[in-house]
Amino acid sequence: MPRIVLPGDKLADKPLRIDNATLEDGKSYATVPGLFDDEKESFIPLESVWYPRMEDSVIGIVEDARNGVYTVALNSPFKGLIITRRDSNGPELEVGDVVESIVRSVKRESDKIILILVRPRNLHEGKVITVKPSKVLRIIGKANTMIKLLTEGTKSNIVVGMNGIVWIKGGNVPLAVTAINRIQAEAHVAGLTERITTMLKESQ
Amino acid sequence: MTTEKPQLVTNGKRVDGRGLDELRPIKIEAGILKNADGSAYLEWGSNKIMVGVYGPREAFPKHVQDPERAIVKCRYAMAPFSSLEEHGRSGPNRRAVEISKVTKEVFENVILLERFPGCEIDIFIEVLQSDGGTRAAGITAAAVALASSGIPMRDIPYAVSVGKDGENLLLDLNKLEDNTSDADMPIAIAPRNNDVLLLQMDGTLTKDEFARGVSMALKAGEHIVALQRAAIGSKYRKE
Repeated sequence: MPRIVLPGDKLADKPLRIDNATLEDGKSYATVPGLFDDEKESFIPLESVWYPRMEDSVIGIVEDARNGVYTVALNSPFKGLIITRRDSNGPELEVGDVVESIVRSVKRESDKIILILVRPRNLHEGKVITVKPSKVLRIIGKANTMIKLLTEGTKSNIVVGMNGIVWIKGGNVPLAVTAINRIQAEAHVAGLTERITTMLKESQ
Repeated sequence: MTTEKPQLVTNGKRVDGRGLDELRPIKIEAGILKNADGSAYLEWGSNKIMVGVYGPREAFPKHVQDPERAIVKCRYAMAPFSSLEEHGRSGPNRRAVEISKVTKEVFENVILLERFPGCEIDIFIEVLQSDGGTRAAGITAAAVALASSGIPMRDIPYAVSVGKDGENLLLDLNKLEDNTSDADMPIAIAPRNNDVLLLQMDGTLTKDEFARGVSMALKAGEHIVALQRAAIGSKYRKE
């Protein structure tokens, strides 16, 4: 059974390979509130700040565009950069466009961290909402179950970025927003999938 | 102007009826501001304190950025209506600037700043009603707000004050005791290793009194830590 841990709680008497842990004298301690399973040594954060990793799929808003180099705001202290070649057939982006992209690398420039983004896809129109990055995995669900449920229940096109930006287009957008907010609020309570299923059915 | 010093301790009881090593009643709630990344509301006796936390976000202006780590900004402010005394004007005065600085240094030691180079973390402590010991109460509340925001921290610190009246050591001074006691020592502690993060003192204590005062604070800390943890954890308990 996972137990609730808070910052400073000891996780194990040995170093663990966990993002949300800190080492002191060879022992691991939690740094954010979360659920820790002592047997599996797995940590699920209940609150966390998104920290970029390679291959994360993110959604951002183009802030600056010049000569095929785009700066993307990512609901994070770190900026994303999309660099396109003149001869490439990537999409033409404009300031204000919502764009889905993949983190290729996390680069440390002289004074800050910059994310190099690749394979941009322009998401035209639609609605953008922000969610807590710690709840993103719950919105997607194990093997995409939750996101499938949402798209089928609302007939909307939904894209979730690991950085906590969600893009919704078509179908019943208000219902999708309500459902996502409910997932966020009840992410830690068991039986969430059933409740969301009932909610979506009742609203149809 | 000389006023006669009131008698703070009578038959082992203090002016508000507490024992010498008794805390005032404390109530903490986490996550009450929707727009903030983390927040807390604390009532500590008659103190009422609201804390909002934002970040990590890009540090601004640019020249304050540290390429190695995030910086912490802290603003402690007393509302103009927070105290019985005339505050003259709201906004930062010398006292508020000092408390902001020491609070900032408390949290610089527990937040994992090196994970967010070039960023800033903002802590806003707003005292709505004050009755002595607001810097300790502010630190205790800000720790809850930070922990509930998901900003990575090594520990959840707490703070409490210890004072002296004649022969007696008093825990958690209220306004009257704070103003008229012989010594006042706020202390902030990271409970995991009992690391001291803040130690200030007005007045004088002997070595022995100091040691006893610190152990009083540590004992009271167990209760404060339990309340802090309950406040953060209550968000995740099943209804």
